[in-house]
Amino acid sequence: MGIEFYLFLLINGLSQGMVLFIVASGLSLVFGVLRVINFAHGSLYMIGAFLAFSLSTLLPAGSIFSFLLLMLLVPLAVALLGLGLEIPLFRRIYGKEHLLQLLLTYALLLILDDACRLIWGGDIRNVARPDLLAGSIKFFDMFLPTYNVFILVVGPLIAVGLWFLLYRTRAGNLIRAAVSHPEMVGALGVNVSRVMTATFMLGCWLAGLGGVLMSALANIDLGIGMEKIIECFAVVVIGGLGSIGGALLGSLILGVGVAFIQLPLSRAAIVFPYFAMALILIIRPWGLFGKPER
Amino acid sequence: MDKLQQVNKNWIFGAATVALLFILPFVLARFGTTGEFWIWVTTEMIIMALFATSLNLILGFGGMVSFGHAAFFGVGAYTVALLMKKAGVSLILALIAAPCVAGLTAAIIGWFCVRLIGLYFAILTLAFGQLLYMIAFQWYTFTGGDDGIHGIPKPDFLGPTNYYLLCLVVFIACFLVMRMIVNSSFGLSIRLTRENLDRAKFIGINVRRYQLINFIMAGFFAGIAGGLFAELNRFAQTEFLHWSRSGDAIFACLVGGMYSFVGPAIGSSVLIFLHIVLQQIHQSLVEIWAIILGFILLGMVLFAPEGLVGLYGKITRKLKT
Repeated sequence: MGIEFYLFLLINGLSQGMVLFIVASGLSLVFGVLRVINFAHGSLYMIGAFLAFSLSTLLPAGSIFSFLLLMLLVPLAVALLGLGLEIPLFRRIYGKEHLLQLLLTYALLLILDDACRLIWGGDIRNVARPDLLAGSIKFFDMFLPTYNVFILVVGPLIAVGLWFLLYRTRAGNLIRAAVSHPEMVGALGVNVSRVMTATFMLGCWLAGLGGVLMSALANIDLGIGMEKIIECFAVVVIGGLGSIGGALLGSLILGVGVAFIQLPLSRAAIVFPYFAMALILIIRPWGLFGKPER
Repeated sequence: MDKLQQVNKNWIFGAATVALLFILPFVLARFGTTGEFWIWVTTEMIIMALFATSLNLILGFGGMVSFGHAAFFGVGAYTVALLMKKAGVSLILALIAAPCVAGLTAAIIGWFCVRLIGLYFAILTLAFGQLLYMIAFQWYTFTGGDDGIHGIPKPDFLGPTNYYLLCLVVFIACFLVMRMIVNSSFGLSIRLTRENLDRAKFIGINVRRYQLINFIMAGFFAGIAGGLFAELNRFAQTEFLHWSRSGDAIFACLVGGMYSFVGPAIGSSVLIFLHIVLQQIHQSLVEIWAIILGFILLGMVLFAPEGLVGLYGKITRKLKT
């Protein structure tokens, strides 16, 4: 096993980490603004993945345009679903006890996961990669799967896009202002609840996008929602709740960590996210990039 | 005077309920296999009521949301399973060992967890709970992995009725002890930490130590419930440790009413009963159980966060005025 093998592992870990980042950044963003940890975030991601599967059976297979269309439509659909959840449900619980918020989103998780089971059943599925992304790329002397490289391009693009949105646009200013001083923003004549709804939809959009990307990276089944939400918790805990940069760092640590630990200790790899999460919570509960809660 | 009457009423009501519960299996035993099935169901209700009440020590009274309480339930179950199956220990000794091991586990996990409050506490308990779940899942030689441990021996004298009575006696004992804890000065201090953490610190309560002790006690009683449940099913499996089981206990507290002492026991019984009733009506209803449960929860969170006990209180007050 030469260096190629390790590079292959690295690419694999990084691409898993990138998908994780896209989903976890949504969770983190929503928490940052709404102060609600959304247990159902993983379910939205799963819905995204299954929607991508269903839609891909309708579109011509193998074409890159079909896949781009999936990447366009599915996250939008998930964001709309988010709109349908935010207005009647989430709005009622902002600022209430943590317990009630957690329970509400947990109830949603139960409903959405079971709805997925009723609609798509328990089979293992995946989306065929478009021809253009199906092969491998020659990189020096090694062949790397094109799709993983594609994700390694999309992930940073999303990260930069989010950064740009949050720190270089008026919408981003409003979101950040709503995080720190919601009353003041409201007093300045901004419709804060609309900002919150938009942020929630953005979070759902990210979950949907992660689902689409995952559907062609690995097999999808009914367990991926639960699995991903716990990984997301681990990521936001490691990086710091509400911090996008922290989410990126946390995702890459987890993705690469799992990929490399899997090699000598395949059993320990499953435990790794929990272990990393517990460790960080004990030594630095607010995460690597977060701030202590007042 | 009014208060005293209320207290007396509660005792009378409680004693009547207990008497009914003692008579119940003998009535059910007359109905053949259906009766036996219902004895099994009520036994499960009693055990789960104990589990939910133990969670409520930290959830309702301590204000600490734990998503890892199933860990102690599972540890109790596995203790009984391993001791009885592999070491050949008697049921009574195994049932005594179960809460001790669970309490010890709670002491270790709790030592870390009480350092955090609010959401972080919830997530850390979830992480530790899942860590235990994964260990049980992977450690095939010791815990049997995802097969679990089957065929826990059953003592000869223990028919369904006797086991029901054993569970009932254990439940009542635990229930009274927990009630004593909640009403003691310790329990009042714990309630203060829920209401106002800073004030509790100001008046000199060692909040972390109190919360840790509370956490250990909750784990201890959850261990008893787990041990009883393992013997009832005569197996222990990883699903006992899974966080969805912690979720079940939290629902029981929410549905019954987490600010009252009897609420969680009522909530868990109602939920189990509902599940069985749906099963009897039509099998397809059980397949969408998670959806039904989800909608019940949504309704409770949005419209009746104080649970059935809270609703009952509201209705009686309205009737009086």
